[in-house]
This record gives sequence, C-alpha cells and structure tokens, in this order.
Amino acid sequence: MSSIPDNPGGLPVVVDAVGVRFGAPGDGVEALAECSLSVASGSFTVVIGPNGCGKSTLLRLVAGLLAPTRGSVTVGGEPPRPGDGRVGLAFQQPRLVPWRSTLANVALPLELAGVGPPERRERARLALERVGLAGAATLRPRELSGGMAQRAALARALIGNPPVLLLDEPFSALDALTRETFNAELQGLWLERRRTVILVTHSVPEAIGLADRVVVMTPRPGKVARIVEVGLPRPRPADLMGDPRAAELTAEVREALTDAHALELRPWAQVDGEGAA
Amino acid sequence: MRRLGAGIVSLAAFLVAWKLVTVIGGYPEYILPAPEVVAERALRAIGSGVLWEHTAVTLLEIILGFAVGAGAAILTGIALGKSVLIERVLSPYIVAAQAVPILALAPLLDIWFGGGLLARVVICALIVFFPIAIATMVGIRAADPLLAEMLRSLGADAAQRTRLLEVPSALPVIFGGLRVGVTLAVIGAVVAEWAGASSGLGVLINIANQGLFDTPLMFVALATLAIIGLAFYGLVVMVERRLVVQ
Repeated sequence: MSSIPDNPGGLPVVVDAVGVRFGAPGDGVEALAECSLSVASGSFTVVIGPNGCGKSTLLRLVAGLLAPTRGSVTVGGEPPRPGDGRVGLAFQQPRLVPWRSTLANVALPLELAGVGPPERRERARLALERVGLAGAATLRPRELSGGMAQRAALARALIGNPPVLLLDEPFSALDALTRETFNAELQGLWLERRRTVILVTHSVPEAIGLADRVVVMTPRPGKVARIVEVGLPRPRPADLMGDPRAAELTAEVREALTDAHALELRPWAQVDGEGAA
Repeated sequence: MRRLGAGIVSLAAFLVAWKLVTVIGGYPEYILPAPEVVAERALRAIGSGVLWEHTAVTLLEIILGFAVGAGAAILTGIALGKSVLIERVLSPYIVAAQAVPILALAPLLDIWFGGGLLARVVICALIVFFPIAIATMVGIRAADPLLAEMLRSLGADAAQRTRLLEVPSALPVIFGGLRVGVTLAVIGAVVAEWAGASSGLGVLINIANQGLFDTPLMFVALATLAIIGLAFYGLVVMVERRLVVQ
C-alpha cells in the first residue's frame, strides 16, 4: 500500500481548472466548469452553495471516485486513487453494510487494505471509542440511531488515519442539537490532529463555526464564487450568535450566496435559522 | 413444539380424509388404496430392502444434481447480474433451454451422457438451474448502489464488491431460487430415471404401476419422494436461517 507515516498531519488538495460533464457530449449536464480551489495542508475548509452546485461532485473528484472531464485534481501532488489511504470520505447517508456489526463496518477499510483480523479489530475498537461508540461494537446498523450510525461512518472514514478527510453533509439528517454536539466533536478531533478537512454543508452557521475558509459556490455549472476567510480563534463555542465578528462573517457568506444565486437561498436560509436557534 | 404439533394435526387430518374417500367411494385397491394398506405395503418394502435400494439411488441423483445445478446457476447468475453483455449473449439460450420440455429432452441427454449416473445428474442439474440462475441475477442487480460507491471509495475492486456486497445482499433472493430449485431436483431425478435407468424411485413407480399392478407400492414410492422433497426443502430453509441475517 502507500507509505503514509503515522502522524502526517495533512496533505494539500489542489483542484485546477476542473470541468465535469455528465452524459453525452453536447447534451449532458455540466456539473463543474473552470472550478479551481487550492486547499492548504492541515486546513479546515467548508464548501457551501445551493443544491446542484456540484459540491458533492467536487468531493467525489478529490476522493478519486470521479475523473475530471477537463483540468486536474491532486492530493499531495498526485491524482487521488480510491483505496490509496490518503483520503477518508463520509457520505450524507451513513452507508453502513446492514449485515455487518458496527465493528466490522468500521474495520472495512482496513480489511480491504489487507490488514489482518486481530489488528483491524483492535484499531476499529479504538476508532469507535474515539467517536463515543465504544458500547456499540457488536450492534447491527439497524440497531443504531441516526446519530450513532453517522458516528460509525465517521469512525470508518478516520480508521485508516487519512491525511485528508472529506465530509459530504454528514450531519444534515440529524436534529439541531445532535448536530451541534457533532460539530464540536469534529472541531475537537481536528484540533487533536490537523488533517486537511473539506466539509460540504448547507448551513451558514455551521460553516462559520468550523471553517478556516468558507468556499461559496455558484449553481450549475459549479465554480467558486467567493472565498471568505474566517479568522475566529479556536476552539470556537457551539453558539457564535453573540460574537459580532461571527455575525459579520455570516452576513458576508449569506451575501455571497445571494449573489451566487438569489432564488436558491431562501429554502435553506430558513432551515439554517432553526439550526442556529 | 408448536410447529411440530400443527404438522401432526394436519397429517392426521389428511390421513382421515384419505381414509374417508376410500370408504365412501369404495374404490378397488388398484385405483385408490386405503392409507393402512399403503402403510402395510411400506413396511414390507422397507423390510425386504427394496425401498431403500431405490431410495438411495434417487437420493444420490438429487444431491449431486442439485449441487451441480445450483453451483453452476449461482456462478452464472453472478455473471449475468454483473455484465449486461453476458446477459444479452447467454439469456436467449438459457430461456430456450428452460422452455423446451425436459421430458422431451431427457431421453436425448441420456444418450449423450452415456445413460448412467452422469446423465441423470445432468438432467437433474438442468431442471434445477433456471430458477436459481435468474434469482441470483435479480438479487445481484438489486445491490444498493450507495453501498457500492462506498466500497469503491475504499478501493474495492469488482471481485471484492461481489464478495462483500452483491452476493451477501442477494442471499435472500438466491435462497428463494434454491427453495424452488430443490423441489425441482426431486422431479428432475424421477424424469431422468424415466429416460432410462434400472433403479431409483422413478423406476420403482414404473415397476409398481405398469409391471406389477401394485398400486400400494406406487403410493409408497410417491410418499417417499414427497418426504424427500420436504426434507430437502427444510434443509434449505435451515441453512437460509443460519446464513441470512435478518
């Protein structure tokens, strides 16, 4: 496999003038066009934008699940390849294998990498502990709550200790309170070990609460509309409502989103309001 | 215990109804023998060793035919499920082979495969093949695409996705095919024996029916086939309960 040291920190991610087109030439859908983004090693980047702006496509490119039609994507200077151990990916849905125990689900990346059963069981146990699921090792996915299942999915993404962690709205199906807890824990995990994190979300407060940089995207074909630097000190509290600097940044991101696509803002602007309450 | 109780009650009811029909109808023994006549004939056939001699042959045919047919069907079903090209190329032949009556095909296969145990295993395997292959194909195709993408993101190749996702998720459907297939294996063995064999329960039916005019013995052979079918079906269900995680 790859020669990743035990604690490599992160790796830089570079998306250079990428275009992605689905379907027949001339007749397909253009998901991304001239999309460029440079993510520094060990930074926390949040990508935000309306539905259909190609946020998930962008993550699939970085995970190596999708090859760009034009342009190039590199992780640590090389094009990503699934299973190379450089990228961990958590999806919007937990995507746990229903007939495997939680432990066996979390151990799956190690199993595919050829790690022997005793070692992968031990490491999966530690990974579950780290996300607060130590007691759920023998449970099946259907016995887990939505929040527990997402924790297990996060443990699975982290078990190979990847330098780059990609999160595709992993908490979007959870209730507001669980979501806040998760975001705090995610920040804690990242402060413990500075991997490169790219998180996709719809929520402006979530973006401000977590990001070093917020990348605002335009709708289809997606490209970067604006980058907002969030210079707030860490660790940040779950509730940034009272912070005047956070309020400014929130306004700035909202404005960028409105500029990017005014009509698309309204539905989730309301959802965000509830989430921050 | 409760299931066993229900089974005994239903068997008793069946025997009583059978007895009533023979009493009310007053049929001669060569048309419909009474249950106690068949039972007495069964005891004699067991005592003389005749029943076991034929049953052993048929059991071997069923076990080999089912194993070969089901094994080939699952492998073919996986290939059909994973490749549209393979399905396009193979499925016309598979469907055509299934549409041709096995009764018509059996004598020919008997000649081709030398008329021995091999020929009977091939005929039995052929009749078992279709429902299991189709069930496997359908099950493989129904695998969750989101889980497939998750596995791809972890670097799983096509063979690993088949082993870790497609086959396990298809198991309930495959077992549906196996349940149908195992009962067909019993029919397949008898049809194969009718195409040319000197022993087996199918042969015993012919001897009793056309040679000896011994209808009670024919009923003994039929009942034995029914019991074999039930036993193998039960076995498949047992394996299914152990393998398929609910």
